[in-house]
Amino acid sequence: MQGERVVVWDLPTRIFHWLLATSLLVEWLTQDDARYLDFHVFCGYLIGGLIAFRLVWGFVGTRWARFSSFAFGPFAALRYLRDLLHRRQARFVGHNPAGSWAIFIVLTLGTLSVLSGVAALGGEKQQGPLQGLLTFTQGDALREAHSVLAWTMLAVVALHILGVVVSSFSDRENLPAAMVRGRKRARAGEASVSLASNAAIALLVVLGGFAAWYFRGYFKAGSDVPYLPFVGPALAMDAQWQHECGSCHLDFHPSLLPARSWQAMLEEPDHFGEDLALDAKVVASLSSFADAHSAEHAETPTAWKIASRTPAASTPLRITELSYWKRRHAEVTDADWQRVKKVDCAGCHLDAELGTFEPGAIHIGKTSGNARKAGA
Amino acid sequence: MSRASLLGPIALLLTLASAGAPNAAADPVDDLLKDFAAQGASNFSAQAGERFWDHPVTDPKSGEVRRCSLCHSNDLRRSGKHATTGKVIEPLAPSVNPKRLSNRADIEKWLLRNCKWTLGRECTPQEKGDALVMIRSR
Repeated sequence: MQGERVVVWDLPTRIFHWLLATSLLVEWLTQDDARYLDFHVFCGYLIGGLIAFRLVWGFVGTRWARFSSFAFGPFAALRYLRDLLHRRQARFVGHNPAGSWAIFIVLTLGTLSVLSGVAALGGEKQQGPLQGLLTFTQGDALREAHSVLAWTMLAVVALHILGVVVSSFSDRENLPAAMVRGRKRARAGEASVSLASNAAIALLVVLGGFAAWYFRGYFKAGSDVPYLPFVGPALAMDAQWQHECGSCHLDFHPSLLPARSWQAMLEEPDHFGEDLALDAKVVASLSSFADAHSAEHAETPTAWKIASRTPAASTPLRITELSYWKRRHAEVTDADWQRVKKVDCAGCHLDAELGTFEPGAIHIGKTSGNARKAGA
Repeated sequence: MSRASLLGPIALLLTLASAGAPNAAADPVDDLLKDFAAQGASNFSAQAGERFWDHPVTDPKSGEVRRCSLCHSNDLRRSGKHATTGKVIEPLAPSVNPKRLSNRADIEKWLLRNCKWTLGRECTPQEKGDALVMIRSR
């Protein structure tokens, strides 16, 4: 193997590879944190676009980028892995059979992950292109499917990385560096492929334009108008509810507790240590507003989760007693609770007063919502 | 019984009179002071209201010391802070917050609720009158 180094990977193939790798890393890091759901969703769209590009490039790209140059059968891939274990594997200028199957599997699972992710977003969060077309229950199931598909894909990625390391050592060729610089050792007389710079520039312009459009809200947002990546439905409000509840604390929207909780609270003369001395007419009017918009009406994804995750036998009197609330706030530290009291939802949820509690609207513990309001 | 049955028609007459002359609408604080006087209170004073405002009361259940200024602060021209929830309470002084002392039902609601929490009992007509006179002077 004394051949010269020639260009094997064109620019679009290398850009595809490293953008996909970076996006998958971001997806993995943001998977379970509602604060970063907009980045997670953005990278999902990005992965979808990258895969679509790669499928086309597999037919019209340069020599080693074409599927026809690495159309190995599954048995060829297994044979290659077996040979790799015995360090007697054949050397390939383009993709080896095992690497080829990593590509096929990642393209397939990647596509399915993106589709199930968009569907979960539409059902579970009622956001994105499928908003309103799927139910919360379907969204819940699709999120499970999304999770299984994505973890399986990440497992294949891990095997791919392991294979690259082993092949690099046994072939004495730095394969990650080759995917950066594009050059690999080739047989004598093997020519470089074109860099396909124009296609690379077009790919970057389209992806950059999409990124700028997707994150345009961040450029417009000021300190007084926070940017909400996801805007929930406009919820019913009631002037009396806002006045009576909102004098002493956030006017928690009725969708944050089951109807039975509001009834129990309104019947109880002692309101968390205070006698509110409300007259019966006011109580009746508050009670009917609570009934009409309680969690059971599932007016928001949060309301649906609260209604469906609270055991029918329990009647929590505080939002912070909900098992759903506790699970969602398990990672908030004591230091954060020192800065922002639990009663002060608006301290972290920028849309607390709208009652929507959307993901992406959470900014943990910089200023209390009360302090921010006083400053405004 | 007989006084209550008399007060009804008098109040009705007063309401009708003020409805006929909207520019001379009775001030809700004056209205309340008249009622407190009818209940036996007299000589309302801002100084007495001030002493009442900062008078500490220990809550038997929690052991905390409560007083009006705990939530409303001693300077009524500034905002206060709800003792439990931390929510900002707009200034009470009508000179900086004209919405204050403008609605009789609101005044009565807060006097009832906040006396019960702070003192563990309803306030006397004298205490309420002194406090209102003091707030109005700020």
